Amino acid sequence: VRCQQYPPLRALQASAVLRRASDEHKKEPLTSSSQQHFDSPPADHQPEPQEPQGPHPSYTGQGGQESEDYESEEQLQHRILTAALEFVPQHGWTAEAIAEGAKTLGLSVAAAGMFQRDGSELILHFVSECNTKLSKLLEKEQKLVQLGEAEKKPIDEFLRDAVEARLRMLIPYIEKWPQALSVLLLPRNIPSSLSLLTSMIDDIWHYAGDQSTDFNWYTRRAVLTGIYNTTELVMMQDSSPGFEDTWRFLENRVADAMAMSNTASQVQSTGEAVVQGLMGAAVTVSN
Amino acid sequence: PGAGASLRLCSMRVAQEGINKPVIDRIIRVDHAGEYGANRIYAGQMAVLGRSSVGPVIQQMWNQEKDHLKKFNELMVIYRVRPTVLLPFWNIAGFVLGAGSALLGKKGAMACTVAVEESISEHYNNQIRTLIEEDPEKYKELLQVIKQFRDDEQEHHDIGLEHDAEATPAYSVLKTAIQLGCKTAIFLSERI
Repeated sequence: VRCQQYPPLRALQASAVLRRASDEHKKEPLTSSSQQHFDSPPADHQPEPQEPQGPHPSYTGQGGQESEDYESEEQLQHRILTAALEFVPQHGWTAEAIAEGAKTLGLSVAAAGMFQRDGSELILHFVSECNTKLSKLLEKEQKLVQLGEAEKKPIDEFLRDAVEARLRMLIPYIEKWPQALSVLLLPRNIPSSLSLLTSMIDDIWHYAGDQSTDFNWYTRRAVLTGIYNTTELVMMQDSSPGFEDTWRFLENRVADAMAMSNTASQVQSTGEAVVQGLMGAAVTVSN
Repeated sequence: PGAGASLRLCSMRVAQEGINKPVIDRIIRVDHAGEYGANRIYAGQMAVLGRSSVGPVIQQMWNQEKDHLKKFNELMVIYRVRPTVLLPFWNIAGFVLGAGSALLGKKGAMACTVAVEESISEHYNNQIRTLIEEDPEKYKELLQVIKQFRDDEQEHHDIGLEHDAEATPAYSVLKTAIQLGCKTAIFLSERI
């Protein structure tokens, strides 16, 4: 039985991930920028009695209706960003998309002031949502295998399918994805984006059945990260129907990795045999 | 036969939901590194003193360390903990320390054992304190494991003393140096 580490999916989980991703941004002048926006609320909006930071006891929307449950700021941000994704193909990963998203929730466009101008949180939110979807998918597949309703895939096929499933989530946003990649590589975003990437790769290996407790743990993850990143870049340039060039590239890279690991274990067993031979010779000579 | 194992793993999975992941991560990573290092130290000692009179004693202590390592390998998979990146380094350093101390003679090997086991016992005691402060109920199984291992290491320490470790020339210098090395190893393995 493979036991999953992540807590069960609750509304708070994603916002907790967002909080983790946005923790990196707490040092940024986020408070000051959002302070400015909320100091002069737009005329068509009912005045909000609370400050932008910290949990609010209730949130008054545009129609003067209060949200039913207590909603923390993280949960609110999570909802806005999810709604904003719909507008990304049109507006890119920008504050405009966030503003449009806020509008669909019945909030003021000033809500976009809660976030960075370059769309960092939106992109990180999207990445973490995709990773969560992937985890759920892999867990579901694992359950099917455990119940005997599906065959256990060989490792290369498993890795291929997992990476493909994850990359397919980019397809609706593929036009704007290069922009997102460049934002993810900004120095202040690197801790968050790296952490999301490593946890996704670790997840894939976990469900693939990796149980290594030695340096292999690192080699395997490094190799898979390389495969994922290069395939992602190929996908950006791919114009073939259904991205078939990308999936072929992925298949070849995974096959290369398998061949490399076979060679490595062959080298290792040869090395061990040689060492044993030498030890035997040494003992013989010393006798 | 799988049902029992999966029941146990699933009860650990439920336990995982509420655990303090960073703390448990560190504990398991450093303990795994420690047992791995201890294994290599005894391997080094056996390579030199395997056919001497203390050979069987060292072999027996080594076997216990192998069991410890096996247990931590299991825990590492269950809790999905990353192993320390310094493992290859501890591989070599441990063997060199074991073989080096054994080249000083049987007493030297025993002195090394005393030093290392004393460090490890103290380290396990610290972890037990940490876990008890956190939540003794939640970490009951892990506490049991660590307590058992602490007792085993204490026993190895006593065996070392019984075999004239303290009679080694420059015993206190050797012991201090080795314990400093252990402290460094523990510090690094917790973090890297």
